[in-house]
Amino acid sequence: MPSHRMPSEADIISTVEFNHTGELLATGDKGGRVVIFQREPESKNAPHSQGEYDVYSTFQSHEPEFDYLKSLEIEEKINKIKWLPQQNAAHSLLSTNDKTIKLWKITERDKRPEGYNLKDEEGKLKDLSTVTSLQVPVLKPMDLMVEVSPRRVFANGHTYHINSISVNSDCETYMSADDLRINLWHLAITDRSFNIVDIKPANMEDLTEVITASEFHPHHCNLFVYSSSKGSLRLCDMRAAALCDKHSKLFEEPEDPSNRSFFSEIISSVSDVKFSHSGRYMLTRDYLTVKVWDLNMEARPVETYQVHDYLRSKLCSLYENDCIFDKFECAWNGSDSVIMTGAYNNFFRMFDRNTKRDVTLEASRESSKPRAVLKPRRVCVGGKRRRDDISVDSLDFTKKILHTAWHPAENIIAIAATNNLYIFQDKVNSEMH
Amino acid sequence: MEFKLEAHRIVSISLGKIYNSRGQRGGIKLHKNLLVSLVLRSARQVYLSDPCPGLYLAGSPAPPQPGEPAAGGGGPAGCQALGASPLKKPRRHLEEQPAGAAAEEEEEMETGNVANLISIFGSSFSGLLRKSPGGGREEAEGEESGPEAAEPGQICCDKAVLRDMNPWSTAIVAF
Repeated sequence: MPSHRMPSEADIISTVEFNHTGELLATGDKGGRVVIFQREPESKNAPHSQGEYDVYSTFQSHEPEFDYLKSLEIEEKINKIKWLPQQNAAHSLLSTNDKTIKLWKITERDKRPEGYNLKDEEGKLKDLSTVTSLQVPVLKPMDLMVEVSPRRVFANGHTYHINSISVNSDCETYMSADDLRINLWHLAITDRSFNIVDIKPANMEDLTEVITASEFHPHHCNLFVYSSSKGSLRLCDMRAAALCDKHSKLFEEPEDPSNRSFFSEIISSVSDVKFSHSGRYMLTRDYLTVKVWDLNMEARPVETYQVHDYLRSKLCSLYENDCIFDKFECAWNGSDSVIMTGAYNNFFRMFDRNTKRDVTLEASRESSKPRAVLKPRRVCVGGKRRRDDISVDSLDFTKKILHTAWHPAENIIAIAATNNLYIFQDKVNSEMH
Repeated sequence: MEFKLEAHRIVSISLGKIYNSRGQRGGIKLHKNLLVSLVLRSARQVYLSDPCPGLYLAGSPAPPQPGEPAAGGGGPAGCQALGASPLKKPRRHLEEQPAGAAAEEEEEMETGNVANLISIFGSSFSGLLRKSPGGGREEAEGEESGPEAAEPGQICCDKAVLRDMNPWSTAIVAF
């Protein structure tokens, strides 16, 4: 939903996440706010018109804080949101900034007690001498009110900046990862956590890599993966040891020496890792590619897709303007047959793993009139230029799509383009492939 | 020569990034600064290995042959150590800040611009020449003193040679 206020930095969306049914979509922004959208139930009158997403709730999750001991400001920006599986009528989610994770409970109130015997309509006590009859209050329907309350605050667990959180399939624990450590928490216990990964060297001068992302396996509650700035993935088994410093499996691809440059290390840093819904594969994103890894093969990815290889010759400029440090996320569709990731110029890319076809689409106001069909875009890299092609030099690097999410079951995607959220639905073919 | 210019430019950009990162809201980003320091190290290696007049190192009678490996072939063992030693100081300083529990407290220097950083390198470098093993690490100047100062025997540059080099070369060698 485009913001009607003047766009400010606080409105920049920093994370997007569907819940497990896809009924709810949560976004977090740089200003520490969370906005939840709910999908309207499909209208019986128009069965082909599928539900659209409307704002359901907005709340301030995190505020800026100041660490007086270190003289550091702690940003309120929401780095990640993860939904808990729904266990009762309420919805719960975890939201985190750089240092503190919070558990929020979202409840609905659509009834109100009316007809109090001892109070008048304004809630003031009546003069008891006027009370002559007994009346039990009845619940009457009221306009839906969504109430959000912070149920837990998991603070002081991290010295470095939190980059990921992931809820375990056991629905009781979750993990949070910062640059050097990963902690395991119990959802009901806030005053302690277990450190399960620690890659901080004894001497910080020996630091060569940091943790960039981590996630629990979707089915095996003892397994999790974390990615590093060196481009490797480590699969860890919590049953093996209390401190999972020794990985069960190490996934890394040897560097192609012909591609070596000053920036090789930066572009091989993994910015996001996601297990497939099946749990058989992992998807990683580095600066120029997305890769699919098979859990059974550590030596190299099974599939590699070029997101924007035309940037390879521009790495020095992208280093200068800091774009080379942009952390793009990646996503699977519900059936694990298509993968998606963002790029520049408000472009996002989709790769069909079966047909090997890929498409580039744009999230912009012009292309987003309701019911408009998205037109595939193309970046031309020299050679023949078609009419609507964009040349590499005219790409807008300030328009970056870092955060995307795919509905768990249907072909609905949420794309965050700076301070705008776009939701695209595939109306023709809404079933999974 | 071309590589040298490119490397030089990348070094200056990288130093600027490291410097600017201190003022960032939310504290220093460890990941980004690590990546910048890796680029800095690569660029420095190229800068030092690219054969070019003006960068004679003590004990080396002629510029290294173009075909020789990037580790600064042809120079004395000390120079190789210089080329190979990882970029320690800037990274260490940066990491201690977020950790908050720095075992070695290093005084922060207020510097106005990158040119000041260069003069810091230069003055720290003279600490190297004083040949005091502990001098580098404990210097009150703090962050930019060469790590080589802590390891006696690693000093490989002749003072006279240094005077002939421009400040930038001095800075990069000091790294």
